[in-house]
Amino acid sequence: MSTTPNLDLREGYTEKFGFHDTEQSVFKSRRGLDREIVAQISEMKGEPAWMRDYRLKALELFEKKPMPTWGPDLSTIDFQNIFYYVKPTSEEARSWDDVPADMKRTFDKLGIPEAEQKFLSGVGAQYDSEVVYHKIQEKLEQLGVLFLSCDHGLKEHEALFKEYFGTVIPSADNKFAALNSAVWSGGSFIYVPKGVHVDVPLQAYFRINTKDMGQFERTLIIVDEGAFVHYVEGCLPPGEQVSLGDRWVNIESVRPGDTVMDSDGNEAQVASARVRPFKGELVRLVPVSSANAFQVTPEHPVLGVRRRGLTTRRTARGTWLREIDNDALCRTRPEFIPASQLERGDFMVFPVSKITRPNERFTREVMRLLGYYLAEGSAYVHKKLHVPVVAFSFNEKERETIDEVKALILGITGKRAMEIHSPARHGTEVRVYSQDLLDLCVEHCSRHAAEKRLSKTVMELPAPLQNELLETYLKGDGSVYRKRKHTMVRAATASQALAWQLQELFARQGHYATITVRKGGKDTILGRTITRRDQYILYFSPDREKSQVRQGDGCFLVPIKRVERTPYEGPVFNFELESQPNAYVARGFAVHNCTAPTYSSDSLHSAVVEIIVKRGARCRYTTIQNWSNNVYNLVTKRAVAYRNATMEWVDGNLGSKITQKYPSVYMMEPGAHGEILSIAFAGHGQHQDAGGKVIHCAPNTTSKIISKSISKDGGRAGYRGLVKVQKGAVDSRSTVNCDALILDEKSRSDTYPYMEIEEDRVSIGHEATVSKIGDEQLFYLQSRGIPKEEAAAMIVSGFIEPIVKELPMEYAVEMNRLIQLQMEGSVG
Amino acid sequence: MSYAPELVIKDLHVGIEGKEILKGLSLEVGKGEIHALMGPNGSGKSTLANTLMGHPKYEVTSGEILFKGESVLEMETDARARAGLFMAFQYPVAIPGVTVANFLRTALNARLAPPETNGGGAMPHKRGIAPKEFRAMLKERMGLLKMDESFAGRYLNDGFSGGEKKRAEILQMAILKPEIAIMDETDSGLDIDALRVVSDGVNALAGPAMGVLVITHYNRILNYIKPDKVHVMVDGRIQVSGGADLALKLESQGYDWVRDGQEVELS
Repeated sequence: MSTTPNLDLREGYTEKFGFHDTEQSVFKSRRGLDREIVAQISEMKGEPAWMRDYRLKALELFEKKPMPTWGPDLSTIDFQNIFYYVKPTSEEARSWDDVPADMKRTFDKLGIPEAEQKFLSGVGAQYDSEVVYHKIQEKLEQLGVLFLSCDHGLKEHEALFKEYFGTVIPSADNKFAALNSAVWSGGSFIYVPKGVHVDVPLQAYFRINTKDMGQFERTLIIVDEGAFVHYVEGCLPPGEQVSLGDRWVNIESVRPGDTVMDSDGNEAQVASARVRPFKGELVRLVPVSSANAFQVTPEHPVLGVRRRGLTTRRTARGTWLREIDNDALCRTRPEFIPASQLERGDFMVFPVSKITRPNERFTREVMRLLGYYLAEGSAYVHKKLHVPVVAFSFNEKERETIDEVKALILGITGKRAMEIHSPARHGTEVRVYSQDLLDLCVEHCSRHAAEKRLSKTVMELPAPLQNELLETYLKGDGSVYRKRKHTMVRAATASQALAWQLQELFARQGHYATITVRKGGKDTILGRTITRRDQYILYFSPDREKSQVRQGDGCFLVPIKRVERTPYEGPVFNFELESQPNAYVARGFAVHNCTAPTYSSDSLHSAVVEIIVKRGARCRYTTIQNWSNNVYNLVTKRAVAYRNATMEWVDGNLGSKITQKYPSVYMMEPGAHGEILSIAFAGHGQHQDAGGKVIHCAPNTTSKIISKSISKDGGRAGYRGLVKVQKGAVDSRSTVNCDALILDEKSRSDTYPYMEIEEDRVSIGHEATVSKIGDEQLFYLQSRGIPKEEAAAMIVSGFIEPIVKELPMEYAVEMNRLIQLQMEGSVG
Repeated sequence: MSYAPELVIKDLHVGIEGKEILKGLSLEVGKGEIHALMGPNGSGKSTLANTLMGHPKYEVTSGEILFKGESVLEMETDARARAGLFMAFQYPVAIPGVTVANFLRTALNARLAPPETNGGGAMPHKRGIAPKEFRAMLKERMGLLKMDESFAGRYLNDGFSGGEKKRAEILQMAILKPEIAIMDETDSGLDIDALRVVSDGVNALAGPAMGVLVITHYNRILNYIKPDKVHVMVDGRIQVSGGADLALKLESQGYDWVRDGQEVELS
């Protein structure tokens, strides 16, 4: 065994894998809220006195203001059970040059200033409460675009910051705006100078949260005259598979509440799932085991160890790189490295599943028989005899094995198995008629060769029992041979799912098996054309001392063979876990989550977004959120638009326990235009109170609100909106369309359209509809062969089509996909 | 050669909210055959059509429906459709926001690659027709029914005129190529030109691979679609069956003679 780097991924996640270096001054405010905490937050941030006073005054307002009672019930929020602030690092980055060396290494791990990140124009990395680093692509910087954390914005551009901060949403606006004003942390500060068009969306990502942590980010966007910006939030592309512990699923099918395997090999609950459109280069990391290759966005953090600095003086062997100093590797803690920073030879962490659940039913004998079944067995109901059959095929020479299988069958089922000989093929089939055994085999190993996979129960059994299964499996589908001086073990299967499961099982035995794919396709044998399936071939050497793959405690370190970059345009996916480490396993390797706060108990998200759109400028703010269903999502979003300026909110709310969000646009000068497109989808236990507000403060201003709300499984979704035309705002035009779709009898929809019109010469249109998915609609679609669930999803997609068609293609595709996910299992 | 009818209805009793509508109806439709089912209002014609398609409102209390030799009574509506049953609706339902083309492609793919054939996983693997091939097929079939190309981009039955709705039904039939098509009062609400287009469509599709059951109140449509057999249904049962000329007799004499239980001369 090679020297083992002492890695316990379970211990002290934050210290090891957070972006900290040796000197840590982590500050976490105690639970609850009072003047002392607020003052402490301000002090920790090193804020000027005016901001401290502003916060304290806001706290007073928060305490004075009653809880709003006009909307959903918020009485269950426990303000004293929340952590309001966690400071991640001792100092915040200023500009790149100011960053101290150890800090710089941390940021280097984040990899933001790499010149190769051509597409990524702006990046905000939020760690707990604070954005630890923001970096703008040089080109944008030259244009004078500022894109920083809000904290940093205050420090670096105090005059500009102070001029606008709190002007659109004063802290006295509402209780939650007051709360945010008192404890705000993180968020983005954006300034787009006159005439500058930022033609790629600015994005914020990485938010890692502490349990019971409130999220109070603050965003301030100033779009100067004639400028344009599109701000979005947001990470793996569709098709990547993540581990649920016992099996692998496509990332896009992961939903809140699902259980996945985290980067320590433990189970973790998914708190929220996210998607965003992406255009640019994806990084494909090909490890020594090429079938474990996976793709991520360049900034996506992957748990790994850099080879650089660990190499010995010994020259490279063959085609591979210079040898690694094992002691050095041993001392190095794995860290999250952006995919784009990883190089050939760097190590990725392959965690070994730690999930163990003993089960008395699975004796050594059962496991051995299942192993044989996995390799050589088939289970079916005999067509003519109508009896359940479990059969095992062997070569007639495998007498010992045949006898063992017969003995196992007798022991397990009490039935005597028969032998069927086919001399022409030198085959012997061991066959037994047993419903119990058929059920056992099908349930825990599945049925057909290409679909064979092990059940969750088997994958979670103690490792020594699993070894019994592996042993008999290898007798069938495996081979053991000598290569040079080493013993090599090889196994082949047509089932991709099984290949990855076997890799995990071998890993639990202490062997890292590589997987390669032998592509199937048409082939000609003896003049006949046959179609071969893809074959997944696993190899490992049980006795090899030196290997490219190093074993750690609870993980393997697997070197990267190749890094490829491919252009990609389309949606990318990511999700958040309920517990730390907030990282999961993609194709066997630990990758970090990106974006979006996560909450483990009922939690509070109370952000404030202020936007100033100056003359002739345009701003679009897009969010498609899928919060965990225990989050109070109470967000105040408001924009002011000046002469001929346009502000557009595109707001999709799919998750959360309660959402109250009414993005608003104040049209301050003639020609201003405000637009709000809102989709709210409320499922079981959810209340979506969404909508928008448009305030016409000047003549010749125009606005449009389109709201679509959907409720199912007892959910409650509604539209709450205000159209206000102030005195003097003549010739203003506004149209409001709010449609509700109710999917079942248990669900509810509300419409609260408020109008305050103080001028006569205006044009106001309001249309509202409430409809139900009718049995007749479902029957009609079903009568054309479309399954009920898909039919219902189709009706819902049709319902939101008027908004979706306004979205860019990739959002539209994604929105429909999210709707389909929400609709799964929703119709009985 | 033995005759094996595609659709066999045996002594079917069907009720709705406890009230019996079909009272022992039996009928057989073979491939390549066109049957007309006629009857006065309230005789149970539409109940039969909806029951064949598996509408949840209708309860089969006894009897059997066999399609290709298999009972369909336990099958969901969508499974029946994928197996090759089709009903042209008397009142097609609007699905706002879903285009005709999108809907038809989803339906066709369901028929080509039924979910039950790929393991029924949470994310059924989609095979089915390539978009390009589908567009060509749609264009061709729409031409057959004299439909404008823009029709494919409209939302299904949303704001369609009566004639457009019925034409859309025939278009669906032309795309899905069922083995048994039930036309539930397809002729109602059609002017003579639309009736001709619809009938031409049905005639073009009918052939050895498809059986058709035309359900109608009037025999007007039978001037365009020539049935091999005509059945007269009164009070939940088929009272009389005969050749095409039976329809003429109904036209001149009404339904009363059937109701009165008179003998009728079969040609």
